[in-house]
Amino acid sequence: MVTFIIRRLIATVFLLIVVSMITFAIFFLIPRLAGQTSYQLATQYVGRNPTRAAVLQIEAKLHLNEPIYAQYGRFLRGLVFGEHYNSGTSTTYCPPPCFGYSFKSQQPVWPQMVSSLPVTASLAIGAAVLWLIGGVTIGVISALRRGTIFDRFSMGIALAGVSLPIFFTGLISLELFSYKWPIFPNVTFVPLTQNPLLWARNLVLPWVTLAFLYAALYARLTRAGMLETMSEDYIRTARAKGLQERTVIVRHGLRAALTPIITIFGMDLGALLGGAIITEHTFSLNGLGQFTVLAVENQDLPEILGVTMLAAFFIIIANLVVDILYAVVDPRVRH
Amino acid sequence: MKRRKIMGLAAFGAVASLALAACGGGSTTGGGGSGSSPAAGPTGFNAAVTGVVNPSSKKSTGTLSFGLSSTPDSTDPANTYYAFMWNLTRLYTMPLMTYKSCPGQCGLAVVPDLATAPGVVSDNGLTWTYHIKPNVKYEDGTTVTSADVKYAVERTFDRTLFPLGPSYFTLLLGGNAAKYPGPYKDKAKTGLTAVDTPNSTTIVFHLAKPFADFNFVTAIPQTAPVPQKHDTGANYQLHPWSTGPYKFQSYQLNKQLTMVPNTFWNASTDPNAKQLVSKVTVTMNMNANDIDNRLLAGDLSVDAAGTGVQAAARAKILSSPSLKAQSDNPISGFLWFAYLNTKVAPLNNVNCRRAIEYAANKVNLQTAYGGPVAGGQIASTVAPPNVLGQKHFDLYEATTKPQGDPAKAKQALTACGQPNGFTTGIGYRSDRPKEVAAATALQQALSQVGIKTTLHGFPAGTYYANFCGVPKYVHQHGLGICFGGWAPDWPDGYGFFDFISAGNTIGAAGNTNIEELNDPIVNNLLDKYATTTDATVRNSYTSQIDHQIMVDAGILPEVYAKSLLYRGPNLTNVYVQPYYGMYNYAVLGLK
Repeated sequence: MVTFIIRRLIATVFLLIVVSMITFAIFFLIPRLAGQTSYQLATQYVGRNPTRAAVLQIEAKLHLNEPIYAQYGRFLRGLVFGEHYNSGTSTTYCPPPCFGYSFKSQQPVWPQMVSSLPVTASLAIGAAVLWLIGGVTIGVISALRRGTIFDRFSMGIALAGVSLPIFFTGLISLELFSYKWPIFPNVTFVPLTQNPLLWARNLVLPWVTLAFLYAALYARLTRAGMLETMSEDYIRTARAKGLQERTVIVRHGLRAALTPIITIFGMDLGALLGGAIITEHTFSLNGLGQFTVLAVENQDLPEILGVTMLAAFFIIIANLVVDILYAVVDPRVRH
Repeated sequence: MKRRKIMGLAAFGAVASLALAACGGGSTTGGGGSGSSPAAGPTGFNAAVTGVVNPSSKKSTGTLSFGLSSTPDSTDPANTYYAFMWNLTRLYTMPLMTYKSCPGQCGLAVVPDLATAPGVVSDNGLTWTYHIKPNVKYEDGTTVTSADVKYAVERTFDRTLFPLGPSYFTLLLGGNAAKYPGPYKDKAKTGLTAVDTPNSTTIVFHLAKPFADFNFVTAIPQTAPVPQKHDTGANYQLHPWSTGPYKFQSYQLNKQLTMVPNTFWNASTDPNAKQLVSKVTVTMNMNANDIDNRLLAGDLSVDAAGTGVQAAARAKILSSPSLKAQSDNPISGFLWFAYLNTKVAPLNNVNCRRAIEYAANKVNLQTAYGGPVAGGQIASTVAPPNVLGQKHFDLYEATTKPQGDPAKAKQALTACGQPNGFTTGIGYRSDRPKEVAAATALQQALSQVGIKTTLHGFPAGTYYANFCGVPKYVHQHGLGICFGGWAPDWPDGYGFFDFISAGNTIGAAGNTNIEELNDPIVNNLLDKYATTTDATVRNSYTSQIDHQIMVDAGILPEVYAKSLLYRGPNLTNVYVQPYYGMYNYAVLGLK
């Protein structure tokens, strides 16, 4: 098991390096290949009507005039060993993993991402709990009551949930419950440590909106999985042995049906931790998603690179956790 | 069963708690207070364009809450160029000069702020002397000195740390200004030799050449004093040392700024600002539609960007008499236009450019930008009405035949030697839907007279750096027309025209004189503008330059931008400061 985990961790590092190379190439190399000069790149990070000297200074400061491999090497070195930056009045050390300094705000990227993380984590984890409980429960009941009004109704709702985009359901929920009937007014992120009640109150609408989409998907998947599992021979055998129906459903049926759900859940949660862009934008929550949008709008390459790496990290780690869980359940995976 | 009951109670408790939090947890934008209550002021649609709505000196315990759909370029006064930030910085800074806090044309006047009087210029126009008020304090109670103003100006020379602010001091000052690296890299500690501080209340600027608009330059936030011992370089943006009515309490970069009253601020030394609320918040990076809805719901006080509400809220406001009465539709000072390149054939012939001026359907262009309310007023001049000295004229029938005059366009084409039309390219920002619509509208109008155009969309972020702002690229790709927008750094003719029409401003990249106009008449008028100290004479040059650019047909004016601003009923001292084209943030209060 330990070997398995070590092997996967090494693969994780390798994967992250590949992701960083691809991202770096997309944002640093491709513009050069398209004919942009380092001077033109630097012009983006200087204000209106810049002097030539100002652009040249920025070009040198951001190392845009260096070869691409040297810039990438600098990025990797910062990631592993940290980097020293001169803020004018003092030199500050950016400890690893130092994703560099923002071209626009001139602040280290890593602390900015870290400060955005609680928002995204609160949103993603809260919504995940809701959609997992809601989706799986509805899916199981629908499967067990196949063809009933509950089944048809819940699957109809699930279809709507999958079909309706978050920016639609989010806006509707805001219009109804925040603006028109202000049950949840002023949706603003309040840290959990500062005021747990306000934290929860302000996240109810984003949670429900996000969970509605995923719960619908999970309900349909669970239902399909349960229908398939419950028609297996071993379920009939379990019933024939006289086991209680609850035991048959939960221990034998649901357990088997949940295996693919766990895989998808890991992927979904990992992806959301990297930034629930549309939900955060709809509800004006300044998490990693909004951070990403801002980075792209500003063409802030270190920020884009940082947030891409972080998102990739979450997905890889989520996959790793799922794989470890599989390995625990199924010894064949370890080999 | 027992377990179910416990779970049920827990669920009920959680819901009840959330409901209680919902009732009691909302942020307040109003509150009690002291001082005189709002007096009767103008009311109704556009009331704040010409008058002060809800004038009041009442102090409120509430929170003045700003929402912002973007983020500031910087909160450091040395490093900001956004109009709304120049407006917002007045809450925590006092530059040497500022704009008089009043509605209407009065608000275009530049008046002393930290200075006791406008700068005194020497006979040769090269030296500007300012005396600063002796009793202005920072937020820690220490007194502001002229050395702090000099230090603030010196900081702006470090373009590696402060690349986003204007570079006027580098361009205008003499002495070692051309090579001065800023205070952090000034190893010899010579300082900026073009600025003297003979005593603690006097500062003298030595210019490289006369520049009559220097009072406007010192109204830029870059002259707000910075105490050297509290300067943290690139990190100063996290807590600029306040001389204004409010000071930073906390700032989470690009997320949330909270300001509280600066207890050392004195209203008598800063008559153009007010300190009327107990807290100011700026929530950044919000959804623009969410901002509008919160404004209408009373959860937010002001949209900090000041560019008007979005389409959904606009429809709501304009269809409701009560909401419309709470809104204003000012001209923002911004011009939407198209550059007509004077070097790209066949537009290097003025008659071909004039054909475009005549053929353009201004109504369709206005519709593309959002119509008469959200888009703007059809423009016939380059300078908008809120530029000092602007006069109305209409060389190409923009207002008399706003749907275009194909007959005159064809006459111009014949004079150009292209009676059957010609082909050229149109550059525009493809991620700006209004500009896309405008480019399409212009393409359709020009096709009516035989001018065929190809559309070239570019990303806004690199538009000036890589495409329309690069003359070599423009020539190689035959971009005869490029869309643009412009607002001046200060509201006179020089401030408006210099960067978009002076021959010596044409640059290799990031160029803003995209039409590449190098007309000796325009250049000469701008030179005279820069050296004439008499304001009346200077402002008379505005319409002369404007007229000459239109004779040259270097620019196709489309609309003087307008925006629909919403003011909550709870706000006091609300009026549009014409220089910013948005509400004056420095004086706002709450009922």
